[in-house]
Amino acid sequence: METTQKKEYSIFGIAANLAMACLVSGIIIAAVYFFTSPIAVQKSIILKNNSMKALVKDADEFKPIDGKTEWFEAKVKGKTVAYIVPSETKGYGGKIKLLVAVSPENKVIGYDVVSHNETPGLGDGITKDSFKSKLAGKILDNLKVVKDPSNKDDIQAITGATISSRAVVNGIKNAVEEVAALKGGNSK
Amino acid sequence: MKEIWNIFKKGIFAENPIFVLALSLCPALAVTTTAANALTMGLSVLFVLSMNNVIVSLTRKFVNPKVRVPIYITSIATIVTVVQLLLQAFFPLLYKSLGIYLSLIVVFAIILARAEVFASKNAVIPSFFDGLGMGSGFALAMLSIGIIRELLGNGSIFGIQLFGDWYNPALIMILPPGAFILIGYMVAGYKIIMERIESKQAKRGEA
Repeated sequence: METTQKKEYSIFGIAANLAMACLVSGIIIAAVYFFTSPIAVQKSIILKNNSMKALVKDADEFKPIDGKTEWFEAKVKGKTVAYIVPSETKGYGGKIKLLVAVSPENKVIGYDVVSHNETPGLGDGITKDSFKSKLAGKILDNLKVVKDPSNKDDIQAITGATISSRAVVNGIKNAVEEVAALKGGNSK
Repeated sequence: MKEIWNIFKKGIFAENPIFVLALSLCPALAVTTTAANALTMGLSVLFVLSMNNVIVSLTRKFVNPKVRVPIYITSIATIVTVVQLLLQAFFPLLYKSLGIYLSLIVVFAIILARAEVFASKNAVIPSFFDGLGMGSGFALAMLSIGIIRELLGNGSIFGIQLFGDWYNPALIMILPPGAFILIGYMVAGYKIIMERIESKQAKRGEA
């Protein structure tokens, strides 16, 4: 330690040393990114298709909807069985991104959480099937969160995670309303 | 060989990062809500810690001591980013579930501490085993905290429900205050055990 204390370093030597370290790490990251990014893009597309397939199991085609980015129509033999729309909502720990499947009758088919920052062990219950199953088949009027266990029509909040539950339900509600608006616009 | 074993063992028992050094308590509180989360985090740290110790040890002759800390941080950040990119490309599901934890590793005190205290002064092989030992100690501590918190707070371990409906989970164990209380007791318990072992060894030495 003492020998290093006594040595005098010029500011340029120190700066060059640090610059070299950053340069090397930059090159390494760039090289890795160059090779992995095409694979990552491919994988994320596959992943997205898989999550859409998981939402609408029997669909044989996902057709993008004109004029809306990231909106899809799930079709079975040419007939639309579901609309898959992205939705964003504010949860307890920040943005929650959802992928919501809505039936042509404006019922919720299901949803998938694309990304979230909710508390592990509490708020992340929104990603679990036990909560997802509560939302399936709900219509717009029943999309509200209650804490009363005897109320079977509306949605039971996850214990200890009312804010997260409410956020997800609101996000889904928005998605259902948007789908309803889209179809209303089409029929006119 | 004996020496390397001692270096490895030190990280798990005598200088356990969480129970003895009390480093990186923040993640120990934040991500040990379930046993699975705690284990993944522990293993990620184990990997980054060993890798970083090797790199710091390899480059210790070239690094100017005045800028060593920024360089160590750069090295840690590079390793974490590379791991992130690789996971994203080849294991997107694992990447999704690790998400924010991975980037958190960059600022873990324990990794910088081992680079500064050990790897910058020792050869590559001891440094690697120091990282491995410290990482294992960290992972084991995380896992034990995670198991206890999940069991008390949710009645399950690794998502498998162990208690029946009669068990009313102590929600506080999942929340940060529960982690504080638990870690306090665990550090105390650890200390008692270590003192017992030491006094036994001392007695043996006398006899």
